[in-house]
Amino acid sequence: MARYGMVFDLRRCIGCNACVVGCKQENTLPDGVFFTRTLSEEYGVFPAVNRVYIPTLCNHCEDAPCEKVCPSGATYTREDGIVMVDADKCIGCGSCAVACPYDQRTELSKDLFTQGLFGEGELTPFEEQGYSRFTPGMVTKCDFCSGRVDAGLDPACVVTCPTDARIFGDLDDPDSKASRLIRERGGRPPLPEKNTSPKVFYVD
Amino acid sequence: MKKLASFVVDYWVYVLKGGVKFYAWLGFLSLFLIGWAYGNFMQLSQGMIVTGLSDQVSWGLYLANFVFLVGVAAGAVTVVFPAYVYKHKGLHEVTVLGEMVAIAAVVMCMLFVLNHMGRPDRLWHMLPFIGIYNWPGSMLTWDVIVLVGYLILNVIGGFYFLYKKYAQEPLDKGFYMPVIYIAIVWALSIHTVTAFLINTMPARPMWHHGMMPIRFITTAFAAGPSLIIIVFTIVRTNTKFWIRDEALDMLAQIVIWCLGIALFLTLSEVVTEFYHPTEHSLGLQYLMFGHNGLTGLVPWFWFSMVAMVVSFILLLIPSVRKNYRRLPYVCALAFVGIWVEKGMGLLIPGSIPTPIGEFTEYSPSIVEIFNSLGNWAIGFIVLTLLLKGAIGVLLGEVKYASE
Repeated sequence: MARYGMVFDLRRCIGCNACVVGCKQENTLPDGVFFTRTLSEEYGVFPAVNRVYIPTLCNHCEDAPCEKVCPSGATYTREDGIVMVDADKCIGCGSCAVACPYDQRTELSKDLFTQGLFGEGELTPFEEQGYSRFTPGMVTKCDFCSGRVDAGLDPACVVTCPTDARIFGDLDDPDSKASRLIRERGGRPPLPEKNTSPKVFYVD
Repeated sequence: MKKLASFVVDYWVYVLKGGVKFYAWLGFLSLFLIGWAYGNFMQLSQGMIVTGLSDQVSWGLYLANFVFLVGVAAGAVTVVFPAYVYKHKGLHEVTVLGEMVAIAAVVMCMLFVLNHMGRPDRLWHMLPFIGIYNWPGSMLTWDVIVLVGYLILNVIGGFYFLYKKYAQEPLDKGFYMPVIYIAIVWALSIHTVTAFLINTMPARPMWHHGMMPIRFITTAFAAGPSLIIIVFTIVRTNTKFWIRDEALDMLAQIVIWCLGIALFLTLSEVVTEFYHPTEHSLGLQYLMFGHNGLTGLVPWFWFSMVAMVVSFILLLIPSVRKNYRRLPYVCALAFVGIWVEKGMGLLIPGSIPTPIGEFTEYSPSIVEIFNSLGNWAIGFIVLTLLLKGAIGVLLGEVKYASE
């Protein structure tokens, strides 16, 4: 069985946010809801300053704090390592949102699905087909586009990235591009001190 | 069986009959239910968006009240413990009133949790065996077990005692005493588990330390008896039921001890975090001094500190502590101080900054305030009715075949 993960090549990321848009489009995410975000930070002292872009998404941790605290078992890990939320089981208590060290959980409020992106309570046909997949009141997050992965495709953010800064692959396969990058360029997980064993790595 | 049926009938008939003051008080509390009904309607029809909660600060006023009230419920043990373990006479007579306070507090806890849920229709998932119950992994499931268990223990302990008194039969000590002793230990467990709920999260450095459970217990054992002192003072001045000075004095001493330890623990935390601050101290720094002009919680923190310190000092002065006219006001100050400390001073700054360093301020929306006031009002209505019935039985005004 595969163990899916993602590598971010920080040398390649240009902070264009195409992944964010691609994700929103693939998942029909309502206004203000993001499954992936690109943070940016300036560093250095003038005149030697620079800016780094840091793409983030759910890290699909091996030891996921969100899964541990979930009182109804709605959060679970698939065999291939993708951490999922069962929309039928979530009671909306928000424990996962508090437990996640990466701020990757988002609560879906009812009115998100009635307002529509353009306001005035009108949904576009695109929104209409997409919103039916959501359960209002639940707390959700990125699922590595599990539907696409099942169909043998890469997640939407990965295929949208114009610079190949996002690499999706099987971390158990030593020959996958993701594994190679982690090995050869010293992939670092986000906030390792939180001891969550993320399946997302950064290389620079 | 017939006796039990007549107990239920007599009890309710007595509870619902009262003077002008009684109905005025219930009427006043009922006013809050209008806002509560509006708030719940808004929240159920539109979702959690009508609250001030966000993805960054996803636990707010509701859970703050919940955490505080678990403490109040646990605090009821300060009546039961001295009564049965130290054979304190004054408190022994009023044990059942302490249990009534615990029942009302647990009811409020449950209302607040229900308000906090994004999907209250799925509450049944929280029932062991029936729902999908992630036990023993999730701390929240432990909290459900201990809270429901505590409610059941207090209902059994309290109403068994009242029923026996009503029926003028001796208590079956073999049954009653184990319930009491289990309830004493159980009271500690409810606040411990609630502390575990937040301090087992490494993602929130402000909560993630071993001092949390004992800090919870000390504040609980200060806030709980504070409320009970206020309630007892009201009872003894407004009803025929006299509560002895020794009872109030014992409770006041428990408040001093626990408030003092709580302040000491807060001081220890401040020294630990500020002597050589790291990024883990940001939550406390934001709480105490704000961050780059974001100062939403600063007044709350300092208010609670002043309230707790002032009430502590006042309680140390014997002429204040032993003056049973002034004592309830000092206790009210301590109660409010701890309420702020547990809520705006602990639960909210745990989420500010977020683990990735965002500062998102939180202030409760009007819907949250309406719902919270409503929940407190329901709690006090429950408490009033429970106390009225219990006092009726204790006074002997409700007893079997009295007509």
